[in-house]
Amino acid sequence: MAVKEFIYKPDDHELEKAANSYLMSMIALMAGLPLPIINLIATFIFFLGNRKGTYFVRWHCCQALFSQATIVFVNSFCFYRTMSIIFGSAKVTNSYIAYLITVIVFNIIEFIITIQAAVYIRKGKHIEWWFFGTLAQLICKK
Amino acid sequence: MESQKVDLFLMTHSKYFESYQIPIIREQLLLADDSKFIALQTINFKEPVMMLVVSLLGGHFGIDRFIIGDVGLGVAKLLTCGGVGIWTIVDWFLIMGRTREINYEKVMMILG
Repeated sequence: MAVKEFIYKPDDHELEKAANSYLMSMIALMAGLPLPIINLIATFIFFLGNRKGTYFVRWHCCQALFSQATIVFVNSFCFYRTMSIIFGSAKVTNSYIAYLITVIVFNIIEFIITIQAAVYIRKGKHIEWWFFGTLAQLICKK
Repeated sequence: MESQKVDLFLMTHSKYFESYQIPIIREQLLLADDSKFIALQTINFKEPVMMLVVSLLGGHFGIDRFIIGDVGLGVAKLLTCGGVGIWTIVDWFLIMGRTREINYEKVMMILG
């Protein structure tokens, strides 16, 4: 995660909307648990709602969307394995427990980073995450 | 329109618009004639904070969308129970901006 200069100085209303994209994804993640897909759908709807917004807002919506997409992959597999244990014939193994711990740690880290990003962006700092920032830069059109 | 009248209007109604819209409205108001001022006073502006409260309480039934005038989206939201709750959460963050956008459209419709 790095604080970088954006190509222009965003206005206050842009900062508010961009920070909201992270807050919204976080609340959707909390509200949607244990279902892993809710946060991605919510972030995508938010992105659609802001598709006519300014470049800064769209850029941060993209970054939030990509980060949530990664979370979905990780959480979905964990959800599938847990359901197999509860309703299927699968057994609790060491690898499952290790994966569960990894998923929990991953979610907590993502949660903290998202809060931090929302706070920084509201203060006017442009946050670029590793990988997701570059991806948003490539995909989001000016 | 007189600049005094315009400034008074903007002072009392600035909360209904986005900050970037105010200079555009001011410019348009200064160019408009006095007859439009009465029409402006009759506009029923929707308060963004009130819409947020409505969205928090009645978002699942699309009431927020109905009130601001997005009837189509309101019906869709009502029939899907607020998009199974997802759309409701998203609208908590979008509704204030959308309300300001609609207020701006109303002013622009009168000012032509």
